[in-house]
This record gives sequence, C-alpha cells and structure tokens, in this order.
Amino acid sequence: MIEIKNLSFARGNNLIFQNITFMLEQGEIMVLKGPNGQGKTTLLYNVLNFLEPLEGEILYEGKSIDSYIASKFFLYIGEENFAYDDLSLNDNIRYWLALHNVSLSDDIIDKSINFLFSELNLDNKFYQLSYGQKKKLQLILLMLVNKPVWILDDPFNGLDQVTINKITSLLTKKVENNGLILISSHQDLAIPNHKIYELK
Amino acid sequence: MIKNFFKLFKQEFSLMIRASTHTIVLYSLLLIASSMFSIALRHIFIDVEIIIAFLWILIFFISVIKVEKVYASDFTEAKLQQYILSPFALEIIIFVKNVLIYFNLMILFFVFSPFILIILGIQISYLFPINFLLALSLLSIVFISSITASITISKNNKLSITSVLTLPLFIPILIFSMLITDFNDFQLDKVYLFFIAYFLLNLAFSPLLTSFALKKLSV
Repeated sequence: MIEIKNLSFARGNNLIFQNITFMLEQGEIMVLKGPNGQGKTTLLYNVLNFLEPLEGEILYEGKSIDSYIASKFFLYIGEENFAYDDLSLNDNIRYWLALHNVSLSDDIIDKSINFLFSELNLDNKFYQLSYGQKKKLQLILLMLVNKPVWILDDPFNGLDQVTINKITSLLTKKVENNGLILISSHQDLAIPNHKIYELK
Repeated sequence: MIKNFFKLFKQEFSLMIRASTHTIVLYSLLLIASSMFSIALRHIFIDVEIIIAFLWILIFFISVIKVEKVYASDFTEAKLQQYILSPFALEIIIFVKNVLIYFNLMILFFVFSPFILIILGIQISYLFPINFLLALSLLSIVFISSITASITISKNNKLSITSVLTLPLFIPILIFSMLITDFNDFQLDKVYLFFIAYFLLNLAFSPLLTSFALKKLSV
C-alpha cells in the first residue's frame, strides 16, 4: 500500500503542487491526470525517492520510502529512453535485465521478447529503431522484472494500438495478481476499476 | 546476483570496446600534437624531463576528456534512474565503468606509446617506465575525473563551476608526476608508496562522492 499524506513540492520558490493526499492499495491502479506542468512526473519522482518533498510524507507498507525500499519494490518506466544506442536490441535487453538482477531462463526471456518484438531483428542496433520500437524495450522490463509496484510515466505515448492493447493486458494481469500501479497518462485507459487523481 | 554482475560487466566491457573510437581519436590528436611539438622545437636541445612533462599534461587532459564523455553518455537522467533503482549499488556501477575506462585508456596508450616516443625523440628504453608510471597515476586520474564529470554533467546544479573544487585532488598526482619525470631513479621508493596509498584512498572515496553527486544533482 502506498500512502501519500499532505505532500507538497517546490523547485526553488516555485510551488509545483501542495497538499496531495491519496492512498493506493494492492490490486489497484491509479492514474494521475492533469495538464502539462502540473507536476505529474515530479509527483512520481517524489514517490520514487528521487526528489525530496517540501512537506508531507510518502509511505509504502507503513514505512517511509527510502532508496532501499524504492530499489527493492519499485519498477519505474519513464518517458525518456534509457537504452544504449551502441548496443543491439538483444544486448540492451540482456544488459537491463542483468542490472535489475533478473535470472530467468533464456526461453522465458525469448518468449517475452517475441510477445512485444515479434516483427523485429534483435541484432539491430538500438539507434536504428523508431521511437515506438525503442519504447517497447522499456516496457519489456514490465514483463520480466518481478517487483510489486509499477510506476509508469506516460507508458502509452508513441505506441501503436496493438502494443497498447498488449500493455493494457499486462497491467490488468498485474492488478489481478495483487500488484500496485501508479501511472501518469494523458490517455484514457481501458482498464476496469482504475482510480483517477486529477492534478490541478 | 554474482552471475548477473558478470553479465553486466561483460556488457560494460562491450560498450567500452565500442567507445574505443573516441580514445583512438584522442590519441591520434596526441600524435599530431607531439609531431607539432617536435617540429617546432627541432633546433633546440630539450631535456627528456620537459618532453615527458609535455606528454604527461596531454595524457592528463585526454583522461579527463574521456571520462567526461563516458559520463555524459552513460549517466543521462533516464539511465541514472534505472541505476538508482537497480539492486546493484550505484557505487559499484561507477567503479566498474571507471576501471574499464582506465583499461581502455591504458591498453590503447600501450599501442600508441612506441610511436609517440619515436616522434618525441625519447629513447625506446623508456617505453616500459613510461607505461608503468602512467598505469600507476592514470587510475587516480580517472577516479578523480569521475567526481569532476559527475558535477559537470549535472542538470540541477546551478553552479557547475563547483566542479573546480575537485581540482585540488589532482595536485598529489601532479606532484608525483613531477617527481617521476626524473627517470634516473626508477625504483619503488617512498614516492611510489605514497602514491599507491593516495590511489587506495581515491578508490574508497571517489565512487561514493561520484554517486552522491549524480544522485543529488542529476535526477
């Protein structure tokens, strides 16, 4: 369970948001909505312990979130791509899975890769891919890194409808398996029973 | 976890091999600079110490430039976020990258050094001492440069000039370099022991300081 109590954040003298309070339990999805510049990404960064809030607290299972909790329980997929341009798609996948200490069999990894990348040559260098294809690399971590909390910043941006459907089914399965998902998104999600928090 | 660490190391090694082009370009520029130095001063007798000092200064800059380049591309905000959320400590990632940068610089210098020595008119018998002493000092230079680079590339730092504060850390290396340019006493004496101790100090603190700077200033 993630609990946010009276959270405020400021950059210098500029107050980004104030008094945000909500709770998210296991098996729930919350979508953060709001126009650009309202602090959706900043709020996610606060939850991930990348930034320190001005006031308020953020708890995970009753404990204040620190770098240990964030690295053990949270998986974050941001808007910007983190892959290495010089590595092939396959090498990038192996690199980031190793970084997240994923020790799955090659068979499982290959099946997951085929689920998202069936049409692609995995030996292509990363810089040769389109924006949407690059985005898929990030999303493959969702399938293979086993962490209870997913924090996603605009995950559907730049994806085709087929991939959006695949990701939506992943999100639904995660929630069914008692996972917890916090998303910032401009799009309406086709996931049943998700909560919405509007940032104004 | 150890198995994944070695997988990570293998991929980092692969990345460093690919980044060798940049190092080769830097060493090629060193060759050109050495040629210009030799041609410009062809009518003047110069002590070997001065030539070695010239070489040392250029290699110092090459190392700093190389570290900055690697850090600017490998610690973008998105990558750094994943490193912070990874089960591996950021300090370990920094250590691995620094060590691989060091080997990349050192191995390629070993390849280029005979040509550099010929161009600068240094006796080829100095080949081993120069490589050995450079191997010793370059480790510290790379580790200290990583602190400077982590501050320089930071996006949240309003005063990037604060990276200048790390420059005094290079002073012991420069003093060491000054002492060892006198090649006649090439033996493991107190200067070397002091320098090894300084390197071990760097080894312990540089990844911590670099990691702190990256976390606080770049996310």
